[in-house]
Amino acid sequence: MSAVRIACLILPLFPLAARLRSEPELSREALAVVEGNGNAARVVAANRLARGAGLKPGQTLTQARALCPKLVARPCDDECERAAQEALLEVAEQFSPRVEDAGSGIAYLDVQGIERHFGKDGSPPELDLGRSLIAAAEAAALPARAGIASSKLAARLAAGLPESPVIVPGGEEAAFLAPLPLARLAPDADLAATLERWGVRTVGDFAKLPEARVSSRLGQRGRDLHAIARGVDPQPLIPRQPPPAFHEGMNLEWPLVSLEPFLFVGRAALERLCERMETCGFACTRLELTLRLEPDGHQTRSVSMPAPTVDVKTLLTLVRLDLEENPPGAPVAGFSFLAWPDRPREAQLSLYGPAALSPDKLATTLARLFALLGPDRVGSPRPEDGHRPERFSLVPFAPPPPPELRREPRPGRGLLAVRVLRPAVSLEVITEDKNGSTAEHLQPLEIKALVSEEEKKRLKIEGRIKVASGPWGLEEGWWTEDPTGRDYWDVELTAGGIYRIFRERQSGEWFADGVYD
Amino acid sequence: MISPLRAETQKMPESEISPALRLVRSALPEALRSRVSSARDLSRSLREEEEEHPPLATAVPALDRLLDGGLPRGHLVEMVGGRSSGRFSALLAALAATTSVGEAAALVDLGDGLDPGAAEALGADLARLLWVRPTTLQEAVAAAEMLLGAGFPLVAIDLGNPPVRGGRGVEAVWLRLARAARAHGAALLVGSPYRVSGTAASVVIKAERARAVWQGGESLSTRILGGVACHLSLEKHRGRHPGEKSEGLELCVAESPLPSSSRPRPEPMPKPLPATWQEPLRAAGGRR
Repeated sequence: MSAVRIACLILPLFPLAARLRSEPELSREALAVVEGNGNAARVVAANRLARGAGLKPGQTLTQARALCPKLVARPCDDECERAAQEALLEVAEQFSPRVEDAGSGIAYLDVQGIERHFGKDGSPPELDLGRSLIAAAEAAALPARAGIASSKLAARLAAGLPESPVIVPGGEEAAFLAPLPLARLAPDADLAATLERWGVRTVGDFAKLPEARVSSRLGQRGRDLHAIARGVDPQPLIPRQPPPAFHEGMNLEWPLVSLEPFLFVGRAALERLCERMETCGFACTRLELTLRLEPDGHQTRSVSMPAPTVDVKTLLTLVRLDLEENPPGAPVAGFSFLAWPDRPREAQLSLYGPAALSPDKLATTLARLFALLGPDRVGSPRPEDGHRPERFSLVPFAPPPPPELRREPRPGRGLLAVRVLRPAVSLEVITEDKNGSTAEHLQPLEIKALVSEEEKKRLKIEGRIKVASGPWGLEEGWWTEDPTGRDYWDVELTAGGIYRIFRERQSGEWFADGVYD
Repeated sequence: MISPLRAETQKMPESEISPALRLVRSALPEALRSRVSSARDLSRSLREEEEEHPPLATAVPALDRLLDGGLPRGHLVEMVGGRSSGRFSALLAALAATTSVGEAAALVDLGDGLDPGAAEALGADLARLLWVRPTTLQEAVAAAEMLLGAGFPLVAIDLGNPPVRGGRGVEAVWLRLARAARAHGAALLVGSPYRVSGTAASVVIKAERARAVWQGGESLSTRILGGVACHLSLEKHRGRHPGEKSEGLELCVAESPLPSSSRPRPEPMPKPLPATWQEPLRAAGGRR
């Protein structure tokens, strides 16, 4: 057996297959994919229902509609085709790390040695591998055919045959190719015409010609084609570099002006995207949405995830919120999602320590909380360096793994905490001046919140002060242009409630910034 | 009593089943028999369930005593307290105790009143604390339900100062949250200025008669805030009468977020204070 074994996955009628992957509901209709606009639109591919009505590639759309009045026509969609091609390559990568992207619905993969993992049920291993490739492609909504041979060309020709999968045993490429019509090798038009004049009809006929004479009469192109006809394919498999991001999108038949229809089609695209990422063991850490606007222009927006996730509902909610906040401003004629992948969080479970949170569930929950409240309202709190008590920061919540052994809870310290008032409430304070101009000579006697009546009822910071303790000075950033100087008091109101109030030294204004609770 | 919880009585020996229960069962279709149990059996099964899931200690002795060891997992505990009653401090202490053992906890802070520095001073491991800052009660409830579903062992909701933004919410919402807590075996602690959760709460604790404790000289200007003292009473608890059990709670201002150089440290409380929670009211026979 030859040292190299190459499998080819091919999507027949690629533009149609790509469109049906994005719009599977069209499979029940007579569908044709057309290229060009208006009267110049020509059929590129049609499904079985349409072909049954007499549609053929190359017909104009008008001719096609005359043959099949209920024909659903869709234009060729680069976005759909790009996504379908990527999905096909990812299917191939499930089987082999060496995959070549040959474009237009064709993928080659190096399957040398892989067949040993197949054929457990008694069927020939390579046949079982071929069937597995087709099944995996079908699971990704791609109606692929497979062929396995020792060269790329033989594998592609084998995959193009209707009885899929076709296995060409090693060293028998020439015998496999011999009965095939010469047109299968896709020679150049002038070369094909010359061979037609010579009466060469099949690949086998061409292979029988002496190599030196073919070379002298047909030149380099003829010599290369002759080598291929003899089963010698000089082209090696060129493995692709997997792209850093996952892409899904489509051009819409007519521009969308409202959000709900867009989310409907966007959801399907996100579902496909998440399925692909999950297959590759990734999760989305950042999602970019590019909108193609009518009549021209593009708009790109990016949504960051608090933790890698593949939850479609969460991603869609984040997209919805972003679109609601910043509408595109023009009808949307097409869109594409670009998902930046990251490894999902993993956690090692402990037998004896406290249970850790499930990383998947946590990532999804955080993303949903982001979508519900916004990124600035969810996170792990951190105190900021400095003296002003209202300052804080939020960092992404990523708890460390729990300890291996359960610890006893730390004994409580019995401390009284301050409930911070954000923002600080502006106050009117009646003070007693004890013959001095500094804060030490001020004694707050009565306070009243300078807020709306509704807020006043809620806050209830109003009344005579029973006990006031202070002032405690706070000075920060005196070396900057915007220094902070405050004098703090703790005050207990006769009506109840213990507040922390302060007076700005520069402006002399009073504020309440916390309640002891 | 038809119980959806367990069918423990099916496993009981026939001799232990009361004649009345046997009679009721015999009148029922086969499918329903296993779901009928006596109140005693139901109580026993609930006790066994609690033994399987030990409560979450709050490290607040007064609160732990009231709750028979801590916050029961799978139940909604509502703590009601007015302004400066110590309710927020107790809630933060429970979060600090949970995070200090290495478990994650979440605070749904409708009042947006958390001072991270204060939480750290209380002993909270901030890396294990998720702070969620909703703006309405509806958002707070939705966030809490998500957090319970994510598997947080303790979710605390603080509803802030009265009146609560968004009202009390309908009782069905709280029942739904209690059910989510039960389904995930999580402790749900709701701090509220007034009763909101209705029948959904398994335990209701009321903090009342709050008073400030001032230290220092007779002159008002030389006084320092030492802390607050309040009275915790059990308003509702399975198997107990309302107000049957009460505890005194005293909290002290040991550290301040203000610069220590500018503020004198408070003198010790009138009675010597160890670094734990004090129960002067209880010592003085404060039982209601």
